[in-house]
Amino acid sequence: MPSSRFPIPQGTLDMLILQILSLEPAHGYGIAQRLEQISRSVVQVNQGSLYPALHRLQQKGWLRAEWKQSETGREAKFYALTAAGRRQLALEKDSWARLSGAVNLIFEEGSR
Amino acid sequence: MRQIFNWIRRESLERGLDRELQYHFDRRVADLTAAGMPEPEARRRIAVELGLAQVREEVRDIWLTRWLRDFLYDLRFSTRSLLRSPAFTGATLLSLALGIGATTAIYSLVDQVVLHSLPVREPERLVLIDWKGEQLANGFGSYNLMSYPICRDLQQQIDFFQGVLCRAETTVNLSAGGDPKPVGAEIVSGSYFAVLGVGPALGRIIEDQDDAAPLAGPVIVLSYDFWQSQFAGAPDVLGRKVLVNQHPMTIVGVAAAPFRGIDVGVVPAFWIPASMSEQVVPGFHDLLDRRTRWLQILGRLRPNVTTAHAQAGLQPFFKAMLEEDTHRAGFPTVTATDRRRFLASTLQLTPAPQGHSGLRRSLSQPLWVLFAATGVLLGLACLNVAGLFLARGSARGREIGTRLALGASRGRIGRQLLADGLLLSLAGGALGIALGPQAIRALIAFLPREVASNALHASLSPHLVAFAFLVSVASGILSSLAPAVHAGRYNLIASLRERGGSGLGGIRLRKCIVTLQVAFSLILIVGAGLFLRSLSGLLAKGPGFDTAKLLSFSLDPEKNAYSQDQARQLIRRVETELRAAPATRNSAVARVRLLTGGSWNNPVTIQTDHRFTSDRDVEMNAVSPSFFATMHIPLLAGRNFDEHDSRPIGETGRRSVIVNQAFADRYLDGRDPLGVRIGSGTLPETKTDIEIVGVVGDISYRSLREPSEEAWFPIFEGDDAMGTFYVRARGTPEEAFQTIRQIVHRADPQLPILSFRTVDEQVGRSLSTERLLAALSGSFGALALLLSLIGLYGVMSFVVTQRTRELGIRLALGATGASAIRLVLRDAAAMIVAGIAIALPCVAALGRLVQSQLFGIAAIDPATVAGASLLLGGASIAAALVPAWRAARLRPTDALRLD
Repeated sequence: MPSSRFPIPQGTLDMLILQILSLEPAHGYGIAQRLEQISRSVVQVNQGSLYPALHRLQQKGWLRAEWKQSETGREAKFYALTAAGRRQLALEKDSWARLSGAVNLIFEEGSR
Repeated sequence: MRQIFNWIRRESLERGLDRELQYHFDRRVADLTAAGMPEPEARRRIAVELGLAQVREEVRDIWLTRWLRDFLYDLRFSTRSLLRSPAFTGATLLSLALGIGATTAIYSLVDQVVLHSLPVREPERLVLIDWKGEQLANGFGSYNLMSYPICRDLQQQIDFFQGVLCRAETTVNLSAGGDPKPVGAEIVSGSYFAVLGVGPALGRIIEDQDDAAPLAGPVIVLSYDFWQSQFAGAPDVLGRKVLVNQHPMTIVGVAAAPFRGIDVGVVPAFWIPASMSEQVVPGFHDLLDRRTRWLQILGRLRPNVTTAHAQAGLQPFFKAMLEEDTHRAGFPTVTATDRRRFLASTLQLTPAPQGHSGLRRSLSQPLWVLFAATGVLLGLACLNVAGLFLARGSARGREIGTRLALGASRGRIGRQLLADGLLLSLAGGALGIALGPQAIRALIAFLPREVASNALHASLSPHLVAFAFLVSVASGILSSLAPAVHAGRYNLIASLRERGGSGLGGIRLRKCIVTLQVAFSLILIVGAGLFLRSLSGLLAKGPGFDTAKLLSFSLDPEKNAYSQDQARQLIRRVETELRAAPATRNSAVARVRLLTGGSWNNPVTIQTDHRFTSDRDVEMNAVSPSFFATMHIPLLAGRNFDEHDSRPIGETGRRSVIVNQAFADRYLDGRDPLGVRIGSGTLPETKTDIEIVGVVGDISYRSLREPSEEAWFPIFEGDDAMGTFYVRARGTPEEAFQTIRQIVHRADPQLPILSFRTVDEQVGRSLSTERLLAALSGSFGALALLLSLIGLYGVMSFVVTQRTRELGIRLALGATGASAIRLVLRDAAAMIVAGIAIALPCVAALGRLVQSQLFGIAAIDPATVAGASLLLGGASIAAALVPAWRAARLRPTDALRLD
């Protein structure tokens, strides 16, 4: 089963987390589930690397965290985007668009 | 910063992470079991996919970053291993605490006296304005003096200055309800507080209108400390009347707390406008005279004006002022040369963020010398710790070897040693700081009491703690550098193969360290020798008169509103009564107190068969006829003063003088001095009508150091209205103190007795700097000697242990014990000689820097250097003898069986 899924590319996990949290605040497990849903199980996220990434983003001031009651009634740590996080997401989206555009250009060049 | 904060709250962070992961885990279990997976299977699978331990570690790295976390582990490990060897830890802590404590204490004084900027607005824009050249003016006060009108002129130079102030310090009799008491005061221009940017804590400060015209402002502003100590901080002091030299003044305010005047060594009780100077300084009427220099002038530069720019820009104004001065009424008739020198004068501006201070002038050089000495001492302590570390490192050889073998990097091992060093030095530093206030208080005790009680304080400022912290970190790095480098070169294979102990590289490094220690110690011991010999030379020389049971005190009746004539009569009356009192053997009056550093001086014109002038100032004083007998100063030729020397009433001026031997030697060159005529001053019209009637022995006038040419005049011939009494007691000084107090009290119960002390105490005060230098450099030298002996002993013991097998074989093959001792001592001697050889050029170079602090001894004094080398060499050999003796007593069988 794992062979059919890509390991997530280096450095894009942060961007994906920011993107997911830009929709609404979520806890770690929720983020993991959403990652899987959104990427339609194409991208494989190592569950273990999710938490270091969350703490790193929080340390950088892009996320803030808060203990709140979750949908199951238990307390969970919810992460939300800060203003700085929003700016960072815009920045990363922009540079991703430019990078993928450039890569596409190169592929098209090769196929012609 | 955030990481340190994280470290502090790491426990709550850990708990949070645990809860967070637990939540994830449980939800995942629930989801998987809901999908039909059996629970144990689900748990196993999740544990694998999450990798809990790994996640925790990675998150911790994010909280603290890797190196910080490692370093904290290192510190914890260091603490444990240091606590396991308390003797080692104690020895290193003590060396470091002594080194850091001494450096911090001296730095505290350097900071307070030399470096500290005034607590005023933008002190860096303050400059001292000084006259460079010939002022053709009379004056009184300390240094950098100018007249009041010049300050007024400079205040008009608004292109360069935002404001200009002038000030002088003095002592007045202040009565606030009770008897008059002498207190320090600062005479200031109306601009003073505004220029400095100091506001009031209460009421108002002195303002321009207080100083607008002579006698315009009979007001004073109290210093915060004085207000607290003398008025208990009462808010109703405002408007109270006090008497300053018996003249009524009104208290209008209290200055803001941290400001204590612009001289760190002299803290005034209050400030008073210059307009009132006639009443503050009895007999002074020269406020508006341009040829009376008595004030220091400071200016605040405009923003964007540099000192150099202002100095250059002010010269046209100054030249014009000089030119104008020569045409003013009252400008003295002078020789063409003097006039040229006057007109060639310039204004000099020097940055003065620390204000102006006589204490700084006299103390800054000795303090820097001591600071340098503590630097050497601290270096020595670091070397000592480095040596101890190496010794411990070789004992830990196996541990380090094992860690290397298990894959620790050399950098990692080095860092562990660095952590050891830092931990020890920080603990040592903390200990040093704890001892700091005590040490600073001990230092301040060497200084004259007025300075000690008022101006300097022994408290720890954040500034000082920061300094001690930096010094601690630096010494931690220094002392663990050698062991860390050594660990980096550690040969793994050799150490594991070796049976106990480490390679010889450690020994070579340790020998280098001991050699350096010997060198550092020699520098300090030579310094101690020089200062101790200077002090003992000064003490042995003495002041040139007998100080046993000799007391002195001063009276200044004019400050209690006496007229000059009344004051003179009072002083005569007191002297007559003192001489008649049974508790005193003899007594005399002098115009100027001896051994205070100050004097009355003038160049003189001498008329023998030709007329010539002295090539430098002659120190002058006026004394009563009984002075020489009271002080036991020998009369070498001629006669003492008698009633013939008094002029008829109504006529002033002097007709006779007694000179000292040095004067006769320098200017009269074998000629009979008696009958030679001199005059005070060097003007063409100076009359030489004062006849030399006697020659006395040389005594110390300003200080014990400077030999001087002295001229003694009869007192009460000029404007003498104050005086210092010298009294030779018959019984104990305490009885005489009693009698003196009674006599003065009978004459005027309101009159304060000033500077009441034995002459021995006065001598002691005049030597306070020398005493400070000698005592501190002496203890530094002793400490240095001790540290290097410990170092040498340690390394030689180690050498003997290392060579036990070799020595055993030698002894077994028939070597004698004596030859074993020789073998060990040869090693030690090589280090000692090398250390001394390194130190000698340094001693020569440093000697030049301290030359001005020495007395009667050259900075490179062969006897002192030889003595210090012998002392150090002898003591070091003795320290090496102990292990050597142990080597000689080795039993070959034991030695060979060992290990």
